Amino acid sequence: MIAVLGAGNWGTTLSDLIASNGHAVRLWTRAPEQRDEINARHTNERAVPGLRIADGVTATSDLGEAARGAEMVLVVIPSQGFREVSSALGEVLSPEQVVLHATKGLERETNARMTEILLAETCARQIGVLSGPNLAAEIARKKPAGTVIASRFPHVIEMGRRALSCPRMMVFAGDDVTGVELAGALKNVVAIAAGAATQMDLGENGKSLLVTRGLAEITRLAVAMGAAPLTLAGLAGIGDLMVTCASPLSRNHRVGVALAKGERLPAILANLGMVAEGVYAALAARDLARAHRVEAPLLDGVYRVLYEGLGCEEGLRELMTLPAGRDVARFQSTS
Amino acid sequence: MQRARGWDEVRIGDEVIARKVQRVLAGAGVDGGRPLGAVINDSLYHERRRLLHAPDDERSRSDGAFHARVRRELPHATSERQRELVREIVERYVGEITGHFDPRVYRFATSVLPYGLSGLMQGFSPTALLNELRGASRLDDYLLLEGEVEALQELVTRGTVVLAPTHSSNLDSLLIGYAIFRMGLPPFVYGAGLNLFTNPITSFFMHNLGAYTVDRSKTDPLYRETLKEYATVTMEAGQHNLFFPGGTRSRSGEIEARVKLGLLGAGLAAYRNNLLRGKDVRERVFVVPCTISYPLVLEAASLVRSFLQETGKSAYIVVDDEFSRVHRWVDFLRGLAELDLRVHVRIGRALDPFGDAVDAQGVSRDPRGRPIDPRRYLFRDGRVVEDPARDVEYTRALGRRVVESWRRDSVALPTSVLAFALLEVLRRDLDQPDLFRMLRSISVDTGVAAVLVEAEVEKLLAELQALERAGSIQLSEGLRTTDGRDVVARGLRGLGIYHTTPVVERRGGQLVVLDADLLFFYRNRLEGYGLLGAPRLYPAGAAR
Repeated sequence: MIAVLGAGNWGTTLSDLIASNGHAVRLWTRAPEQRDEINARHTNERAVPGLRIADGVTATSDLGEAARGAEMVLVVIPSQGFREVSSALGEVLSPEQVVLHATKGLERETNARMTEILLAETCARQIGVLSGPNLAAEIARKKPAGTVIASRFPHVIEMGRRALSCPRMMVFAGDDVTGVELAGALKNVVAIAAGAATQMDLGENGKSLLVTRGLAEITRLAVAMGAAPLTLAGLAGIGDLMVTCASPLSRNHRVGVALAKGERLPAILANLGMVAEGVYAALAARDLARAHRVEAPLLDGVYRVLYEGLGCEEGLRELMTLPAGRDVARFQSTS
Repeated sequence: MQRARGWDEVRIGDEVIARKVQRVLAGAGVDGGRPLGAVINDSLYHERRRLLHAPDDERSRSDGAFHARVRRELPHATSERQRELVREIVERYVGEITGHFDPRVYRFATSVLPYGLSGLMQGFSPTALLNELRGASRLDDYLLLEGEVEALQELVTRGTVVLAPTHSSNLDSLLIGYAIFRMGLPPFVYGAGLNLFTNPITSFFMHNLGAYTVDRSKTDPLYRETLKEYATVTMEAGQHNLFFPGGTRSRSGEIEARVKLGLLGAGLAAYRNNLLRGKDVRERVFVVPCTISYPLVLEAASLVRSFLQETGKSAYIVVDDEFSRVHRWVDFLRGLAELDLRVHVRIGRALDPFGDAVDAQGVSRDPRGRPIDPRRYLFRDGRVVEDPARDVEYTRALGRRVVESWRRDSVALPTSVLAFALLEVLRRDLDQPDLFRMLRSISVDTGVAAVLVEAEVEKLLAELQALERAGSIQLSEGLRTTDGRDVVARGLRGLGIYHTTPVVERRGGQLVVLDADLLFFYRNRLEGYGLLGAPRLYPAGAAR
């Protein structure tokens, strides 16, 4: 039995995928009406419109019932609610249980990665992260995709593969947990910039410039924090960046579009009605870049557009007039 | 509590040999494992390289003769003969590892030791000490035993303890040996470096201390695995262990930021093996970190010299240093005594083999303090299974917890506080980003006004006191003041007394540095706490 915590669009989609692979899934949601809808009609219309959820999924709003005895617990909770749920999970978890999370964000205030929160709040040790170019809406429509699971424990990757791998989902393995988590969180900031670029009609050249320099910045920052440089060139890095920057489906992309239209952040978030992780990640990115003394003008620009009222046009002008240095950084071998 | 019943040394040695040989034979040539001949060849290769730089003594010659014989035989050896050769190699290693060990003399030795060290102070030879047992002053005069002593006394009755101290001096083993005795603990098995046995001063004590031998110059994987197996088997038998997870002594002076996972993992291996064998589930293993904080370090000069020379190459092992010269010991101990300087030995909070905190009753706690059953970390489908990849990660986590504990429990002393503040003032003045050039440019001509240093020390004291309140470091009694003058004065006395030339001296209103390398060494004890906004002076984890 596999527990999935969080019945948002990604949690619901993953539950469906895992159950389609023949595993029993217990899906935890705080909202009783959502639980009843899933159990009675096998739908979750608000989160994933049109999806008929596989029969193997049972919803519960009792965290203990969901997690106790589960071979693997998959946590799919927005970064800002992650600690609260982890701390509740800590009350029911047993040391042998495997915990995987699929949250692409960093905690405000602490800038903590999600595995750091799991380690601080629970007894779980055999943990890992699931990340990659995975638009939930496409996976819910059974389109093919690939993803990466990073863990220091081969057993965690093995468990994750058993649950997720199938002809429409390729599961790649990695051991750079820090790199995969930072890639997933920081690329959302670049996605906001890409959304703005689309709206500003910069053209494909300009957009490519923005995204590539954005990748260079998040790579520098991630490496300064202990990631392996090549992780950012993998599915969780470039792979995810391509999707979020190209697809108007992505929430962060939509935030960028709205910003370029001159809308203000509170209104944008109200219209979106969902969490856009990049909005928080921009705060973390700015703190972390300062703390690690990493130059990140693009990440900083997104922060100022979001929180300091900088205009998108103005921000772009600033970036284009910066002195251009090396294209690709020289990284020292990490071994 | 009945411990270690039926496990005498001979049986432990035999068990190690049997397991190791069995494992090599089982692994050879299957699942991508190397054929037996290659394992033997590899062993010969590593040993040959080692002997190139080994001293030409009886031990080396005997090793050389043995290798020559194996090398001659190997090309014609049948697979049956190859098995015998593996056995001979492992037997030889086990013989060397256990060679000096005799648990029966433990109690005798611990009662001699305290007088012995004090005797050294008066310049006696070790044998002469035996005649002078009574009336000598006690080692207690030099030692402050602090921290979780009572918890440790309780835990030795509830399971097998691995004591894991920081390592700055060859004196460490002797001090810890004595501290174990003072705490009234049962004997601990030591993994002591070979040099402690060959050193004329310590060999006398080491042969009697329940120590087995670790030869760090041996790079043969077969040797290292045998060593780990030995530690594992002793722990399975319920013998408490002492080892220095940092490996060699800290050469920079900094508290070790990394540990070697090999031996540290032996605790987990022993715990797991006992569970797999269905032994009593109460057979627990506890890892107890411990710090030893010296106001002065006996071998500081040669340690820091080798650090500065060899930064980047961690394989360098200091052999010829102050440690082997009796008069240095005498000077050192006399120095401590004259200034009433104390070495702080501080026992940290216990951990289980997975790095979880353990309370005084031996119960493992999760990060939020909830009790957990650590056996379950080894479970799969409801039972304990072996999984080396998993266990290495657990050990890595344990290593991080040990390092954190060392930082928290390290005791800051006036000598390091003065050195840190003074070097920081100098660094800002000199504005030389290269560490080596900076140290070279400090000379007797670069005096600093004492009042400046005193002000810097006062800033540092305020930061240290805040860190202590946050539980991030410990301060010696004398540092709980705001009086920079007093701390500078005490630091100067400490740094002025033992080393061949004083490290720093006051000349009029100026402080003058006479040995910048040593100033750097004592300063580094406070590296890594982010004090005074000072940058790191060398990469973290550089050759220690």
